[in-house]
This record gives sequence, structure tokens and C-alpha cells, in this order.
Amino acid sequence: MQVRVLFFGVLAEITKTNSKLYGDVNSVSHLRSKIFDDFPEIVHYNYRISVNNEIISDDPILKDGDEVAFMPPFSGG
Amino acid sequence: MRSHSCPLSAAVKNLSDYITEMLKNMLVAGPVTHKIIAEYLSALSARKDSGGHSVFLGQVRADVVAGKTVKAIEYSAYENMVTAEAAVIIETILARFGDVRSVDIVHSVGIVMAGEISLFVLVSAGHRRQAIDACSKTVELIKEKLPVWKKEIFEDNSHEWKQPGLA
Repeated sequence: MQVRVLFFGVLAEITKTNSKLYGDVNSVSHLRSKIFDDFPEIVHYNYRISVNNEIISDDPILKDGDEVAFMPPFSGG
Repeated sequence: MRSHSCPLSAAVKNLSDYITEMLKNMLVAGPVTHKIIAEYLSALSARKDSGGHSVFLGQVRADVVAGKTVKAIEYSAYENMVTAEAAVIIETILARFGDVRSVDIVHSVGIVMAGEISLFVLVSAGHRRQAIDACSKTVELIKEKLPVWKKEIFEDNSHEWKQPGLA
């Protein structure tokens, strides 16, 4: 299985990418630990996580093809 | 994103068509130009169901941060989620303000120079009170709910994220 992870705002800058594929992740917390290994500086930033456009507050199971976004506080307008 | 056309220029056939059409046009590359705003305002003469329209224009401000002046803001957006959230905002406004006939939102992505417009909100209602109140509430929801980020670019080309969220 594979999920696409999107980074926005300052997180895209510190990871130097907008998008990265991760395989063999069974949950958001599992994915997050892999991302922390790749980009340890993320831990210093505030962000929310969405799965397929829905902001999550728990730790959902991930399935193949899910789109997971790491989003700093919004600042539109 | 595509070349801009004003949803109000066509008669509103039904609500879901209207929202779908509005969302297709809501993100524009660069500033919300005077031409775009004029298209929306010109189309209002066909809206004979409305007695009041309220407009909000968000403009890029030349803030001075630590002695450096902002020359532009670069907006980025999670476009799929922006349109999903904007649909929820419009449905929320229409449910809460029964006199509101339509809600239009145009938001910039990319570079917008200081003094240019980055957000246009137009709310039409039967009467003025709900047009004004619903427009204000729409702007608040946009600020709170839309996944959009702004990067301030200074005159020396250095930059700073508007809300970096540094813990």
C-alpha cells in the first residue's frame, strides 16, 4: 500500500517538497513517526492533519491511495 | 483553475449548480483584479430578487516587520480541500441566513502585490441586514476554515510565513 503525503506552507519549505509517497504505513501515528524520522524539524511546528480532505483528531487506519496533508495554521484572506 | 467567468452572469438554475459553478471560479492566479470585481458587480443588475448586496475586499497591506516592508504576499492553497470547505461555508451561510440569495468568493493563489486585492466576497440578500451580517460571517469562516497560507515577501526579497506556528 502507498499513501501520498502533502506538505503546505512553512512545512513545504522545511521539507523541501510539496508531496512524498510513503508505503507500508498502517495508521496516521505510524506515518507520522516515519515523517519525523525523515524531517525531524517538523516537531517544532504547529500543524493539523487531514486524510482525504477531512481534518482528523484521532488516529485513523490508512488505506492504499489515501491523501494525507500536514497543514500549518491557516492564514488565508 | 481556469480563465475567470462570473457565475452570476448566468441565471441561477438551482443551488447545487450555482455552488458548483462558483467553486470552479473561486481561486484565481494572482490578484483579484478590478475587472473580475467589475464583472461580479455588473451582473448584479440581473439579480432582481435581491434588495442588498454586501462586498468585502481583502487587500495586501505593506506591513513593516522588523524594519522591512512587505512588498507582496504569496498565497498557497490545498485546492481540493479549499473547494470542499468553501461548499460547506456557503451551505452554512445559506442555512443560517434565510434571506441570503447567493454567496460568491474569489481568492488569490500565487503572488499578490501590496495594494492589490486577494479576497473578494459578495453576498446578496433580500434585505440589507442579512447581506451585511452574512458577508461578515462568510469572511470569518474563510479565515478560520480555508486551507490557505500566506508568505510575506519583503522588499529585500527575504520572506516570512505569516503564521509560522513555531512552537
